Amino acid sequence: MVSNHRYTKDIPAMCFILPCLLVLAFTSLYPLVFGLVISFTNWNWGVQFDFVGTKNFLQLLTDSEFWTVVKNTVVFSFFATTIEVILGFFLAVQVNKLGINTGLIRTAMMLPLMVSGIVVALMSKVIFDPFFGIINFLIGKIGFAPSAFYGAAETAMASIIAVDVWWQTGFVFIIMLAGLRSLPRDPIEAAQVEGASEFTIFWKLKLPMLRSLLITVIIIRAIDTLKVFDIVFGTTGGGPGIRTEVIQTFVYRTAYSYQQIGKAMATMILFAFLILLIALTLQTLQKRLEA
Amino acid sequence: MIGNIGKSVRFRTKGQISLACAYTFTGVMILFSLFPIYWVLMTSLKSKRDSLANPPLWIFDPTAVNFVKLWSHETFKYTFLNSVIVTVVGVTLSLAIAVPAAYAITRMKIKGRNIVGVWLILAYMLPEFLFILPMFSLYQWLGLYDTHAGLALMYQVHVLPLSIWLMCSFFREINPAIDEAAKMEGASNWVILVRIYIPCSLPGLAATAILNAIWIWSELAIALGLTFSRAQTVTLGVTSFRGYAAFDWGAMTAASITAIVPMILFALAAQKHIVKGLTLGAVKG
Repeated sequence: MVSNHRYTKDIPAMCFILPCLLVLAFTSLYPLVFGLVISFTNWNWGVQFDFVGTKNFLQLLTDSEFWTVVKNTVVFSFFATTIEVILGFFLAVQVNKLGINTGLIRTAMMLPLMVSGIVVALMSKVIFDPFFGIINFLIGKIGFAPSAFYGAAETAMASIIAVDVWWQTGFVFIIMLAGLRSLPRDPIEAAQVEGASEFTIFWKLKLPMLRSLLITVIIIRAIDTLKVFDIVFGTTGGGPGIRTEVIQTFVYRTAYSYQQIGKAMATMILFAFLILLIALTLQTLQKRLEA
Repeated sequence: MIGNIGKSVRFRTKGQISLACAYTFTGVMILFSLFPIYWVLMTSLKSKRDSLANPPLWIFDPTAVNFVKLWSHETFKYTFLNSVIVTVVGVTLSLAIAVPAAYAITRMKIKGRNIVGVWLILAYMLPEFLFILPMFSLYQWLGLYDTHAGLALMYQVHVLPLSIWLMCSFFREINPAIDEAAKMEGASNWVILVRIYIPCSLPGLAATAILNAIWIWSELAIALGLTFSRAQTVTLGVTSFRGYAAFDWGAMTAASITAIVPMILFALAAQKHIVKGLTLGAVKG
């Protein structure tokens, strides 16, 4: 990457990158270090700031509410990621087959991505409304009973997953379509001449070449969905009960409604480890597949 | 001969069925993608009575009353203006910092380059509240709490890594022989960056600016944590319409549409850049 340049002694490289390092230190290093300190205290935003050792962590790990929240987050992340990746990738394969100018299709699939999470949440409340919502009207037309969506324990999580699928499937589609487009033509045409079926060409040729990109997309979606906040905050707020409470809404409630910053930070530290663990696992998997 | 014809006919019909399925699926997905936006837009143009009609109205007399009411709302227009300011400041700041940094990373020798790389990934990847909660007290102490500058600064934790990855990829496309030649002529790194690299990667700069703008405009958690009233952004303005029992769908949908129009216009104007930016961002991230 670095070619053998003659480095004229004008401005040292450090000066080019120093502002970046300072801003990163301020916005990420300081909060991480101070956050770690907070997680061992009983801070309440006020004067109460005593070290309590590992009490926050032990309390969390033995708290059934915390484990429910973790379970909710993982369930949301797993299903949202899986459905988005399958739908987005399948659509990319279909669109790639059409052999037409795909500009308009891409625009249509990209629009939801441009909508803020909180607006997505509000839009879904209008559309999913149990009494006046268009979805209940439409499913009534085809003979199904109306659903309470966000209001019922059984359907709340599925509704939020559906909303995230609407919001983010376009991302998977755009990346995978670009990947399909960049595949070398020769081996695919050779296989076609040999009489290989479309199905075989996809599984034996295209998929192995796209595997690395696919795993990257899965990593991005998995981490992004674990961090979900806006659409839960804007729709159910974690309810009914704590049926849809996810880690970041739980932390928000703990820190701002109950003023337990120590506990909230301890949750975030554990959560950060979980995210790192998942990212590293998926990346190791990717490297092993490439090797 | 006959067998051959049979085979080719069967092959064609099979191909046609598969193509028909592809068109159908694509059509369904486009409908799925666009319908909610269409429906919310229509709801925002309905009078209160029409918006709650059962069965829902497909044809109605459009009215702008919801938008008029929204803009005469005492706080919403300020949140919109705040978002414009925070977005402009945030995007400018991110480019001003990321462009020299990306140049140094791609074309200069830096000690600890890998550490910087890992740091960028962590800052980009870790969840918002990890950074927001500890920032609260420092922001109050520094007087940055509830200010446009403070918010724009905190947004850098996410947009800076993305900007650096994108700018690095654009700078790498420039032939290093060019700066070799410029250095022979005695040009400094700064001059090479300003005179060669920036002009050569203007479309890339635009793509980066737009992606950053979209992210900053849409952000909720950081704004929720670090503002109170003066610097509240449009996402918080929209949040105030989410009341459970209130069926003021006119206000809710008009606020939603108003909040997404700038981003959708941006996206349509710069579609190609965004696709490139998303793709590159995905590969780097």
